[in-house]
Amino acid sequence: MKKIILGSLISLSLLSAGCKKAIEIDSKRVVGEKNMWLVLEDTRAALIGTYGLTRAALADNNAHWLYGDVRPGEFTVTNRQDLKAIVDNNLNASYSAVEALSNWRRWYAVINSANLFLERVAEVKAKDPRYTENNMTVDIAQIRFLRAFAYFYMVRIWGDVPLIVSSHDGQFENVKRESQQKVLAFVESELIAAAALLPYKYSANDIQQPGRYYNEDETRWAGALARKLTAYAILTHVAAWQGNYPNVATYSKFIMDNYGKGGNGFISTDELTRANGFFNEKKNNHLLGFNFDFGHVDASFTGHIEEITLASPVVNKPLPDIYLSKDSILSVFNEAKDQRFSLDTLGQPINARYFTNFNGKYPIFSKIKVIQGGSTDPTFRIFGSAIVVTRLEDIALLRAEALAVLGERDGAIEILNNNIRRNRGLDNYNPLINGNLIDAIFKERQRELMGEGHRWYDLIRYAKIRTTMPKINRLIENGGIYWPISRNLIIQNNLLTQNSHWK
Amino acid sequence: MRFIATITFSGLLCLTTSSFGTTTGYTHVPGYASLLNSQLQTDTAKNKKADTSTVDTALLKLSPQRKSGLLELKLKSTKINPEKLLTYPAVSIQQYLKGQAAGLYVQETSGEPGTMQNMFMHGTSQPLFSAREQFQTQPLIVLDGVTLVGEHPFSFDIQQYKFNRIGPATNLLTNIDMENIASIEVLTDIAAIAAYGPRGINGVIVLVSKTPDKANQIAFNSFFSVGQRPQVTTINGKYENAFRKQFYDKYTAAGRFSEDDTYPLYLSDSLSNSYYGPSNWTDLYYRNSISHNVNAAISGGVERANFRFSLGNVRNQGVADKTVLNRYSTQFNINMKPLQWLTFSALVNGNRVERLRNRNQRDRFGQMNYVPDLSTPLSPNKEMYGNFLSNTDNGFDDNKTNILEGSARMAINVGTFSFASRFGADYNEGYRDLFYPKTLLEGNSYASNYYGFNQRLIFDNTAMYDLKLNSSHNFHFELGQSITWDTYKYNYGYAYKGFNEFIKLNLLDGGGGSSAFPKQLLYKFLDKTENNLLSFYGRAVYNFKDNYTLSALVRADASSNAQPTSRWFVSPVLSAAWNVKNELLSTNDLFNQFSIRVSAGRLGRIEHFDNSAQGPQYTAELGFTGNITTPGYNAFAGLTRPYTYGWVGYGIPWAYADQLNIGTDISVLKDRLRLSVDFYTKTDKNQLLGLPSYAEYGYTQSFESGMSVNNKGIDLTISGDVFSTGKFSWTPALNLNFNANKLMALPRNLDQIIINDKMLKVGEPIDQYWLFTNEGIYTSDADVPVVNGVPMKYNGITLKAGDPKWKDLNGDNAIDFNDKSLNGNALPKVAGGFNNDFKYGNWNFGVNLYFNIGRQLINQEMANRFDFINQESGNTINSVKEITFWEKRGDFSKYPIYNPWSTVIPYRIDQDLFLENASFLKLRTVTAGYDLSSWFNSKSKRPGKLYVYATANNLFTLTNYTGQDPELVSYTGYDNGYGMTIPKTYTLGIRLGL
Repeated sequence: MKKIILGSLISLSLLSAGCKKAIEIDSKRVVGEKNMWLVLEDTRAALIGTYGLTRAALADNNAHWLYGDVRPGEFTVTNRQDLKAIVDNNLNASYSAVEALSNWRRWYAVINSANLFLERVAEVKAKDPRYTENNMTVDIAQIRFLRAFAYFYMVRIWGDVPLIVSSHDGQFENVKRESQQKVLAFVESELIAAAALLPYKYSANDIQQPGRYYNEDETRWAGALARKLTAYAILTHVAAWQGNYPNVATYSKFIMDNYGKGGNGFISTDELTRANGFFNEKKNNHLLGFNFDFGHVDASFTGHIEEITLASPVVNKPLPDIYLSKDSILSVFNEAKDQRFSLDTLGQPINARYFTNFNGKYPIFSKIKVIQGGSTDPTFRIFGSAIVVTRLEDIALLRAEALAVLGERDGAIEILNNNIRRNRGLDNYNPLINGNLIDAIFKERQRELMGEGHRWYDLIRYAKIRTTMPKINRLIENGGIYWPISRNLIIQNNLLTQNSHWK
Repeated sequence: MRFIATITFSGLLCLTTSSFGTTTGYTHVPGYASLLNSQLQTDTAKNKKADTSTVDTALLKLSPQRKSGLLELKLKSTKINPEKLLTYPAVSIQQYLKGQAAGLYVQETSGEPGTMQNMFMHGTSQPLFSAREQFQTQPLIVLDGVTLVGEHPFSFDIQQYKFNRIGPATNLLTNIDMENIASIEVLTDIAAIAAYGPRGINGVIVLVSKTPDKANQIAFNSFFSVGQRPQVTTINGKYENAFRKQFYDKYTAAGRFSEDDTYPLYLSDSLSNSYYGPSNWTDLYYRNSISHNVNAAISGGVERANFRFSLGNVRNQGVADKTVLNRYSTQFNINMKPLQWLTFSALVNGNRVERLRNRNQRDRFGQMNYVPDLSTPLSPNKEMYGNFLSNTDNGFDDNKTNILEGSARMAINVGTFSFASRFGADYNEGYRDLFYPKTLLEGNSYASNYYGFNQRLIFDNTAMYDLKLNSSHNFHFELGQSITWDTYKYNYGYAYKGFNEFIKLNLLDGGGGSSAFPKQLLYKFLDKTENNLLSFYGRAVYNFKDNYTLSALVRADASSNAQPTSRWFVSPVLSAAWNVKNELLSTNDLFNQFSIRVSAGRLGRIEHFDNSAQGPQYTAELGFTGNITTPGYNAFAGLTRPYTYGWVGYGIPWAYADQLNIGTDISVLKDRLRLSVDFYTKTDKNQLLGLPSYAEYGYTQSFESGMSVNNKGIDLTISGDVFSTGKFSWTPALNLNFNANKLMALPRNLDQIIINDKMLKVGEPIDQYWLFTNEGIYTSDADVPVVNGVPMKYNGITLKAGDPKWKDLNGDNAIDFNDKSLNGNALPKVAGGFNNDFKYGNWNFGVNLYFNIGRQLINQEMANRFDFINQESGNTINSVKEITFWEKRGDFSKYPIYNPWSTVIPYRIDQDLFLENASFLKLRTVTAGYDLSSWFNSKSKRPGKLYVYATANNLFTLTNYTGQDPELVSYTGYDNGYGMTIPKTYTLGIRLGL
């Protein structure tokens, strides 16, 4: 009896050693901490991951356009109650999209991913000799750029936001909101630091990034990553948002002087509006762009302006979610020969670049229409357009705006004419026809950048300069230009306070 | 084949480290299971005796024979006689066991054959948010010692719409042909379930196959059944238009709420025959269903080797949407006794289950991940609807599932020592091959292929030793070891816009279908997860004079899904039984049986998701709402922390349950009245809960340990031979469970937490709804209460005429989440069955009733109907209208006419306006049978049994619930109207044994 028990015990303990393998297995679904930050493939994955998170934050519920193009209320909403609530500035309404847009979690995912990268990248440098000093420098600069961009984007939406610059991994603590001036100062210093380290192009033998970046060629990276000019472009935007027009002039000058080095150029109207043109795939000309390349099996049903603007006859959908009414179109595109949209002498549109079905009840805003890989097949609503946060025309117009504000009228008019109006088939700016220079520049912005997520912020800058927009000026005064902070966030973090306008 | 090779190899690996022969093992020996279980029945003692006697005639005992003394240790279990279940035309274990055992609550949420059904034993240990929690709370099913593996819900991670799991989504518990089953036991007692380890934490259902008999026998059983087409009231566009008109009349001036308001086209044209014509779609949707079941079994052999082999086929038709389940089953059992001290037995149970699934649009769009234009719903007109159906028929939707259990067991019996070793496997694989033709989707075809398997391999050993010191003291010792390897895997691919309709390649094959579909629209997924468990246990039982029995069990379990720092979990269970009758009442004539039993102990809870074992981790979650499966950017894979899934840190311990059971079995009046009462309290501790937090670090939630949930209640079973005089007898049997659920603690010692639309509050049940209290309607703006000049607001929006009057619970003149309160229960407080057996001569009759009391539902279907403005506004999956939209359900007059355009969303579902009492009583079975054996034996040379019967099922449901049958609602408690009617069926059957 005793022998049996003893024997059993001994064999049991031996058995447990033999079966240890069965219970000590790594997950096949996730990568544990011990298998991460070892080789340069890990830094590449983490870098790409941070880009992917940024794209997700912009694309979620079409946030980029709902913030930028829908909120101004210039587009008319057909049936979607949530979009109506946004247009009506009814941002407390309990629709899932409105709730998602008031939640900043996705931006903080970008920030946490970036913070983690900055804390851990040295481990890879130490372990993997293939990971060069330059590779690390450029990676870090991009990550710092993405983090700064995320903060900038959030400040424009919510005003004051918590400023968190380390991952706090496993030791998370609630943080209160920091004044937006401080956050923007951080953003600016980070962007300047990144700008100094970033190359003009990748895998193009740039002096700051020699050799093949992650062993891929130039076309693979073209326009997909943050570059030197990207950092300057966002710096320009930050300065403009702060109303610091001397800085706008400085940063934008760098871009205007150097855009050739980045492979950038001003584009034709046809390129801008062709289905397989500017917005398709990825391009150097996307100063900051996040592609959804159809060829990479990356096109999607949502996360594109097309989802809310296109409808029959461009795609199979009876009504667009939003449209620009005929009257609005005519008041915005009020100059003849505009290649984007204008009427001929018979009162018919000269083309269907910006608007299709102009004479129907619902004109379709079809400037951006990358169906699948830029086809005209209306049957399947999958879109491949990149989210272009900024491009050269945007920076040129910001520069014109800055020069105009700073009193350098000639410089402003020159940019407006040479870089924009001429390319769009318009005559030179004429104060008698086009009115006030500032007004003309902002009108040009409205036409040129329509549907690219700029309009809301443009209106705010415009209202600050001209103070002729009582509704927006009132919102600027009482903080109503910001979004409410999601109730779910306030429940989670008791240090957060609601924006006063939304209390 | 590869799997078997791998397994044998790893089995050997484990074996070589021990000396074979002395290794003890842990088995789920059927005989032994009953050793520790009371013989309590839901029906009659007589049946019980008949049942045991058939087992006794078995030639070979799989378990060592025990002295009767040890049999007195009684733990709570409910034995169900499968013979009683056979007249019900069921296909799944859940259907068979519904209302049969106190403490086992079954949800049959759709009458569509072969769909998922839920079982909960003694409530739920965690809030049921999704399929994840549902999976984690299901009981363990054991067939002849093989613990069945379920379908892991990990594939939901890649599903934007989580209505059904990808793949065939067939209920894997349709793998039992009840004709092959000799006994069913429902175990809830901690001492009983502890033997099955952490996988049995939610309760265990033990199925034992019929044992071969040396006498050659043939059995043939069959039934034929007809399901009755439901009679429903249909509506058409005119009705819907009139319904909507009242809102337009009340809240709009010119038939439009605003300039941009557009009235749906399909209702705009009152001359359109498609929507305003006859609503006769039901002719194509509903039908009288025809089902059958055939089973033939043969058994035979010689003294030392025998077998039983059975073949069966079930075809079960649903009454709606041409749904069908077809099953082919075969089972083979063999027992051999090559030497006097050596026995060998093997089981193979193979099932092939095929399904024709429903053609719901929601499920189709959800599967496709694409929502086409929904502005034109299906027409209620038969011709138009017929066109849609014939388009569907041009595609295919093949759902095939193969389910295979196998085990081989060798036992050595030398005197009072015995050793058993078992190798078992449960493997199920599902295939779904799907093709939707162009005509169904605006000119785009869609194809999808799925192959996935769930596999469990079991290797266990048990050693037992019996010691009898003298006639008073008996000992039983047992040591066991078990290792199980679980592997779950799937390959999945889908593609859009095929080049033509005729090339239908399997996307998962090498070519990947890129010749049939554009490669940019071809998506493929692979996923795999494992979950291994290593266990040891020891048990000692002491019995004194048949009066007292004490038992102690200690087990140690190691799980691959536990964190490395807390891999092992050690837990004890103690139990005791006292035979009061023997000791105190042996001369008392009133009591025939009186025993009391107590058990208390702890058992670990298996973690099913391997994320938890990893601590901080990285994954590819770069998607966003509507596009969740993005693995990378710029065609490179990305890795980030699992921000959407949630933070997982270090220091996650095992979750476990502490349980106490106290019960008594009494039978009096010459065994005519039998009563069994069990009190239980079970506290599941240290459970993981995703707490919404750390949004400023990017996470949706943080998985933290510390949730504790208590379920306590009473199982009651009472049966009596009310009449048993002469030829007539009547035996009613009532079983019911009362369960009360309570949240005891939250992680971080929080008092409450809000998760999605649910509020979890310590001290309150976890299945409650969190709702606004609706008190009517503001008929004018002046009605809205004003405090300090500020009218009442809902989340910052000023309430107006036509908005609901929600109760301002905290009196701050603002309606927000602080004014929600906990209300209702999604799981019933009381559930049970009332079964009656009547006998008259060779006739017997049965009447089974099934009831739920104290359950409330949210009638979401009605909420959606009234909230048509928001439902139709977005062309989202919520806007989908099924053909059943044209069926009149619910009581429209119950609800006030609010302003549906209001941004407060007056018909929101988180208010008690849609909360209804869903208690019900259902007449589940009425059966009449006649035993023709004597007539048969007078005609036949070979003696046998012949029995014919007729059954009617689901004849009526008594309920106050105004929606569909309240049973057709899942664990969340939201009635979305998707449950397909459980039909009334009429069955004729025959049972023949030779």
